[in-house]
Amino acid sequence: MGGMSEVLLGFMDKGGDVLWLIAALLFVMWTLIFERVWYLQLGWKKDVAQVIAKWEGRSERKSWEAFQIREMMISQTRMQINRNLPVIKTLVALCPLLGLLGTVTGMIEVFNIMAVTGGGDAKSMAGGVQQATIPTMAGMVAALSGVFANTYVTRIAQRESVFLQDNLTTDH
Amino acid sequence: MSVNFVKAAALALTGVLSLSAGSVMAQEAKSLDELLNYVKQGQVSEAKENRAREAKFSKDKANQAAALQRAEAERARQEQLSAELEAKFEQNELLISAKQQQLQEKLGTLTELFGHLTSAAGDLSSNIEVSLASAQYPGRGEFLKELIDKMSNSDTLPSIEEIERVWFELMREIRETGVVTTFDAEVSSPAGERAPRQVLRVGAFNIVDTNGNYLSYDGGSLSELPRQPSGPYTGWASNLANASGGLNSFGVDPTGPTGGSFLAAIIDTPTLEERWHQGGYVGYAITAVGIFAFVLAIWRMLVLTAVGGKVNSQLKNLSKANTNNPLGRVLKIHEDNPTMDTETLELKLSEGVLKETPKLESGLTLLKIIAAVAPLMGLLGTVTGMIITFQAITIFGAGDPKAMAGGISGALITTVLGLLVAIPTVLLHTVVNGRAQRIIHVLDEQTTGMIAEHTEANLRS
Repeated sequence: MGGMSEVLLGFMDKGGDVLWLIAALLFVMWTLIFERVWYLQLGWKKDVAQVIAKWEGRSERKSWEAFQIREMMISQTRMQINRNLPVIKTLVALCPLLGLLGTVTGMIEVFNIMAVTGGGDAKSMAGGVQQATIPTMAGMVAALSGVFANTYVTRIAQRESVFLQDNLTTDH
Repeated sequence: MSVNFVKAAALALTGVLSLSAGSVMAQEAKSLDELLNYVKQGQVSEAKENRAREAKFSKDKANQAAALQRAEAERARQEQLSAELEAKFEQNELLISAKQQQLQEKLGTLTELFGHLTSAAGDLSSNIEVSLASAQYPGRGEFLKELIDKMSNSDTLPSIEEIERVWFELMREIRETGVVTTFDAEVSSPAGERAPRQVLRVGAFNIVDTNGNYLSYDGGSLSELPRQPSGPYTGWASNLANASGGLNSFGVDPTGPTGGSFLAAIIDTPTLEERWHQGGYVGYAITAVGIFAFVLAIWRMLVLTAVGGKVNSQLKNLSKANTNNPLGRVLKIHEDNPTMDTETLELKLSEGVLKETPKLESGLTLLKIIAAVAPLMGLLGTVTGMIITFQAITIFGAGDPKAMAGGISGALITTVLGLLVAIPTVLLHTVVNGRAQRIIHVLDEQTTGMIAEHTEANLRS
């Protein structure tokens, strides 16, 4: 376990400060994703049952008022299920951008070393190149993982909101 | 003999020439015939003089011969003296080599010892010249140089005291490279003023003064570095300088004061501000856009938080419309026209919502545009930086990476600035947009429902 964290710290050290930013972003992103999955698995069913019960409990489901109230209930629940989804989407989009930031700061490091040593020492430049390439890779991996999770969560949210709309039947 | 004759002849000739010229000048020639006459007369008188001179020379000849004899006698005497001296020199030469051999025999293994002493003194001298301890103990190098000069002359031998002093200096140098000590020394400030200061020496690695400034030692004098390393290093230095004991962390440059390449690299590393300036005009433009975006986002967030709070309190109290929030203003349409039929009410409500939406969404498009434009501006800076680099290549050639590095770092800094503006702006846009959308959802999809629920409740009661 200690060896594992040492390897991880060594990796973070090679990648530079931007890698910590990517790690923080990834942490927030997956926390939000897990929160959504948690809600969809546990909270959502209860909310749907509540809404359906409230709708079925109405004395009439035909009038203009009834229709408007139905719309309102659907909208409120949809807001519930769609919460945080735009933030997750943005965080996924930010991952490659942060990777690019790491690339450029790494390249600045390389050119700094070049300016000091005159460019003759390839070994000392390799550190900067590592700082440039590792965050790019990390950003890509983070974005890829986020893309799949985000697609999964978004699709379920869409399906469930359609399912809710179908369940609130109107009398004719 | 012949030289003397030539000299005399030359003198005579010049005499003749001046005489004839003088006579011509003295008597103005009236015609060519007269001139011819003068020349003839002159020749006659010259011939007469020449004969007189010849007589004089022949009389001198006897004297010259006597002088020559004397000179030859002198030469013979000198030659004899030289031969005598040469013989003596050879004798002495033999004597010297005999004595030297005697000396060699008597020195024996000592020669080897003195050779080692010379080379050890030479090594120590070159070490001491660059050693930081020399700032504390000046004059050590002079002693060693004198000793080396003395030994290489090979006619004098070092004294026991001198040999012992070399050993002492060697031991002192070894000891001094391992201690942290304070002493007073003259330090020149970056402005060039020299003043005594209390300084702290860390072995043979670094010297700092009690204010925590790193000093450099060069050519026998201490001077404050014109630019101090930034970050924690300065703090460490002053902590150590003022510490009375215990453990202190301190930035030591293991390459020493003369190598000092780590310290130099740290000093050469541009500060954040210098880096920012490397971005040039494009960098400043990106910064301005970024600050604008940040202020705009914060302002919109504050406004939307306030509006959201008011909408929430309105949601709890639907029966009385409050015009200080968008939801209240939409509800007021219904409140003002309680007897309206449903279709007109719906139209009126959607009109009210349409009026409120732009106020809530204002600034969001601008934020989105800035988030998209900032990386593009960074790209612009990259390209202008590359143009500068290629201009540098055209002028200086590609041989000097330092000439190119400036343009390249400028190019990269603008990219960094572009991304640094874009990333938070995208995040802020999402957050602000989320708040705005929530309120718009409430207005757009839920107002009619709330009104319906409210009227229903009123009917029931």
